[in-house]
Amino acid sequence: MSKPTVGIFGLTGCAGDQLVVLNCEDRLLDVVALIDIRDFLMASSDNDTACALDIALVEGAVLSKRDAETLLAIRKRAKTLVALGTCAVWGGVAAMDRGLDRAKLLEEVYGEVGCGYDSTPAQALHEVVKVDFNITGCPIEKEHFIAAVGALLNGDTPLYPEYPVCTECRMRENNCLLIEHGELCCGPITAAGCNARCPELRVVCTGCRGPIGDANPSSLLATLQERGFERERIAARLRTFAPEGIVQ
Amino acid sequence: MNTIVIDHLARVEGHGGITVEMEGDTVTNVRFDVFEGSRLLEPLLRGRRYDEVATILSRICAICSVAHALTSLKATELAFGVRVSPQTELLRELMYRGESIESHALHLFLLAVPDYLNYPSATALAVDKPAAVLLGLRLKKLGNLIQETIGGRAVHPVNAVLGGFGRVPAFDQLIELRSAVMQGMTDADAAIDVVASLPAADFCHSDTLYAALRSPNLDSYYAGDEVMVVSKGSRAIIRAPEYQELTNEKAVPHSHAKHSTFRGSPFMVGSLARLSVNPRRLTGRLAVAVKRLKLVLPADNPMDNNKAQALELINDVERALELIEQLLREGVKDERPVPVHPRAGTGTAITEAPRGLLIHSYTYDEEGRVVSADVVTPTALNAASLELHLRRAVEQCPERDEAVISKRLQMIARAYDPCISCSVHLVRKR
Repeated sequence: MSKPTVGIFGLTGCAGDQLVVLNCEDRLLDVVALIDIRDFLMASSDNDTACALDIALVEGAVLSKRDAETLLAIRKRAKTLVALGTCAVWGGVAAMDRGLDRAKLLEEVYGEVGCGYDSTPAQALHEVVKVDFNITGCPIEKEHFIAAVGALLNGDTPLYPEYPVCTECRMRENNCLLIEHGELCCGPITAAGCNARCPELRVVCTGCRGPIGDANPSSLLATLQERGFERERIAARLRTFAPEGIVQ
Repeated sequence: MNTIVIDHLARVEGHGGITVEMEGDTVTNVRFDVFEGSRLLEPLLRGRRYDEVATILSRICAICSVAHALTSLKATELAFGVRVSPQTELLRELMYRGESIESHALHLFLLAVPDYLNYPSATALAVDKPAAVLLGLRLKKLGNLIQETIGGRAVHPVNAVLGGFGRVPAFDQLIELRSAVMQGMTDADAAIDVVASLPAADFCHSDTLYAALRSPNLDSYYAGDEVMVVSKGSRAIIRAPEYQELTNEKAVPHSHAKHSTFRGSPFMVGSLARLSVNPRRLTGRLAVAVKRLKLVLPADNPMDNNKAQALELINDVERALELIEQLLREGVKDERPVPVHPRAGTGTAITEAPRGLLIHSYTYDEEGRVVSADVVTPTALNAASLELHLRRAVEQCPERDEAVISKRLQMIARAYDPCISCSVHLVRKR
């Protein structure tokens, strides 16, 4: 069987998800041996930028016409397109400005020169092209990337937890930051998969993995409001990584 | 040959290119084009609470996420007059060393070394020379282990918070970390062997101005609030609150990264600048390594930044070990973060990210909401200097062959270790 052809791409973002791929370190060369990476600009200067791809992994959000064109071209080449990381899945931190006047913001940051820049409101990949599946996280978890490659090699769809961070946090027997300490923790509505990394360190969940499918934000909102947090502050926190979300 | 265009620079972080315009043999224009999208984080930051700023701004860049997060915390703490414990300072410095090891190993072995040996990528290099690539991956892993142990995660740390740490690493974790770091010493020495064995890369010479943090003990990426600018025979000092004297940022049409000059001259930041500003760091094993690499400071060849990164790998591993030993000797205490009370004011923090000076400056209102913010990144500071060196490389290239010039330009750009996500100016003081 020939190896599947793979492309790894970054639109606008912090390159953190591509970095996690490189962070596979002692397993990196093993993973690379199982697939045929044809196009990975961050790691190689010898790329086939036109070939058909079995799998395209795309990180970052769409923030310019150039990004949108790149993404459309990747979609045409790819049998399976995977959104890699919270920016690709949800829009991420850059999407917080949706609804604000972009031209004005550009002028504010860059002065008059900025008016000529190619810049569009942040969009998640699925708003521009069909996405076959998502690996969320800011950044993604290394193990999820390796499991996804394994599943795809076997013709399976990768599976991820469909429960909130709270489930993992309880399994680790942490004191609840929300109920017991009265802190603004996004665990109840945030997709698990991080093994409750932050609450394990006594730090609140900021929702960096985006919301769980059947999240009940109004219940969390009510719980937090009962504890004296203002609605506006809760909304701002919940919008940080997944603006479409959860609380308008 | 009128124009050389390198449309999309490979093996760097982010999206950038190079354009050189010529008339006959005269170079008329050289541009380092940055077309990374602008995320314009400022509008969303304005009005946000002080305890959300570091979480958001670490997302400027993954490779430098420790530096962004900790510089952000330092700026907010300065604005509110918060003093963190000596233990917190040691742990933060240790995170910086972990990030520097990871970043330098990634850059040197996966991005830069393949150039010198004519390979398109580290994976291609690994087929013929697996030892060099595996060495790089081991060092990279060590850097990540330090960041994970102290910061909770290798990319976008979560454990460092205002006033200290969520959970201070346990004694046993530090013991384990110490043995990993001790093993890293051999690898850091081996990194010097690899870099010393590379063919010479001598594409341009130019007197260069260097700027780096002048830390109180000459060996900190985190402590201190003065920048020293040095060139052959002159030096100047700029204090953090007056940082705009150094940055002088100017937006340019071809790039989403602003350009900086100091008194009209471009300057370089990063490993080579740090060694030039603090040459007294070069003692013991480092002094031996400097001789092996035939590095003369202040250097006039930007490619020497790769040698400087290799030297810093030794320095970072040594310093990480010292820090861990100090923490173990003094006994790690399970401290809670120092309480933070917001007040109106401005805080400006300068630290050394792996690629050089990083500045975060915020103004808060009395409730601790962001009124304005300014972030100046090393790649933005370097942009003008990089363009100058690219220009010199074209002028000083004896051949007029486009492929030769193009390769030289790409190698110089990579030696600067640009981090283009970072360079895109996100926020600005009003």
